[in-house]
Amino acid sequence: MPRWGMVINLQKCVGCYACVLACKQEHFLPPGIFWGRVVVGETGQRAAVTKAAYPVLCNHCEDAACVKVCPTGATVQREDGIVTVDYDKCAGCRYCVLACPYQQRTYYADSKKEYFPGQGLTPLEKIGKELYPLQEGSVLKCNFCIERIDSGLKKGLVPGVDREATPACVIACPAKARYFGDLNDANSEVTLLIKEKKASQFHPEFGTDPSVYYILR
Amino acid sequence: MKPYEWMVKPTPQTEWIDGRGILFWIAFFFIELGAAMFLVSSLFGNLFGELIGWLLCAVLGGGFHLVYLGHPLRFYRMILRPQTSWISRGLLFVSGFLVLGLVHIALSLWTASTLVLLIVTNVLAFLAIIYGGFAMSYIRGIPLWNSALLPVLYTVAGLWGGAELSAVVELQSGGPGGNAMLEDLIKILLAAFIVVFPTYLITARYGLSAGKTSVSEIVKGKWWPFFWVGVIVLGIALPMGVIIASFVVGISGIPLALLYLSVAFELIGDLMLRYLILKAGYYNPLVPMPGP
Repeated sequence: MPRWGMVINLQKCVGCYACVLACKQEHFLPPGIFWGRVVVGETGQRAAVTKAAYPVLCNHCEDAACVKVCPTGATVQREDGIVTVDYDKCAGCRYCVLACPYQQRTYYADSKKEYFPGQGLTPLEKIGKELYPLQEGSVLKCNFCIERIDSGLKKGLVPGVDREATPACVIACPAKARYFGDLNDANSEVTLLIKEKKASQFHPEFGTDPSVYYILR
Repeated sequence: MKPYEWMVKPTPQTEWIDGRGILFWIAFFFIELGAAMFLVSSLFGNLFGELIGWLLCAVLGGGFHLVYLGHPLRFYRMILRPQTSWISRGLLFVSGFLVLGLVHIALSLWTASTLVLLIVTNVLAFLAIIYGGFAMSYIRGIPLWNSALLPVLYTVAGLWGGAELSAVVELQSGGPGGNAMLEDLIKILLAAFIVVFPTYLITARYGLSAGKTSVSEIVKGKWWPFFWVGVIVLGIALPMGVIIASFVVGISGIPLALLYLSVAFELIGDLMLRYLILKAGYYNPLVPMPGP
């Protein structure tokens, strides 16, 4: 059984937010909801400014705190390691939002919010509400583009290799800073990169064994 | 918080205190207060106190909990993960306490309840008191909450509030005796609170960076009036003054109005304490700032 994971090369990331936008478009995410983000740190003044971009998303941890604390069983982990939320089961207690030490979950409080307030929903927003029915009062998070992976596998495609079966943020990255693949496959690109570039997990001290690795600067 | 400060600086949690989150704060308070009042009242055989405690827990605690949920009608699903989730455990404890508590009160009113039923109900009441602290202390990302002392603090605070309310009911109803023991219990709980509360803050202060931020925000940040006026003066100093006075003139020498006021202040202090702990729950910064 594969364990899907991602490697993000911080040496290549230029902080363009293409991944953030691709994710929002792929899942028709409403205003204020982000499944992937780019956190930018900046120090120094004028000519000596140092800037660093950290793309962050759900780490799909092997020992996920959100799965443990979910009282309804809405948050589950599949055999391939992907952590998902069943909106029909979520009661909206938000314990998972707090328990995620990576702060990667968002409570969907207001489904009436529009991208252009007062002007009604755009055609894209209307389509999105039908194609991707997110439930108000539930908790949302990145799902590693599960629908792309599942439909791609059915067609015999390889996630991380074939575009159609690969998460949108990975495809959209113009700097090719993101890699996706099977962490259990010793010959996959992600596994080789982790070994070769000594990629590390984000804050391993939380003890959740994230499936997202970073190649540090 | 500006976008670029998110995750780079200590980030406050908002889900359990801001917006509708305020309901969660009130729910936790009344669940613990109500269960504690039932527990203490039952120890002194005060059925009216038990009934008031049960009502506080069921109506205000349970009610606010339900209203807080994004999908209140799905609350029954929240008992499905007691093996790992403290919220599930809490719901089971509270539901069990409310059902058995109601049976016990009904039996006591019409015939007579059994000791076994009362013991089981009280065990569940105690578990209902402690679960909130454990649910919060499980959260690893927030150093102020991720402390073994938090459940102890919440339990002591809850029991103290419950004991104070039970004392009020005893005073109102004349009391079937046992007042001196109840007074002693209140003194012990106050002393325990005075030891646990500063210890909790000190251990959080010397922990991770967000813990320092949390304690600083509580003690000298924008919420300092809640801490110094609400918790320290109203919640601790005034009730302690009344207790000290009771040593000198005896509890019967203290005006009834002052006793009631002392209980009200203690409850305000407890409420403020819980507000501050929820409000000052900061996550550690996750993304390191690059060097200058």
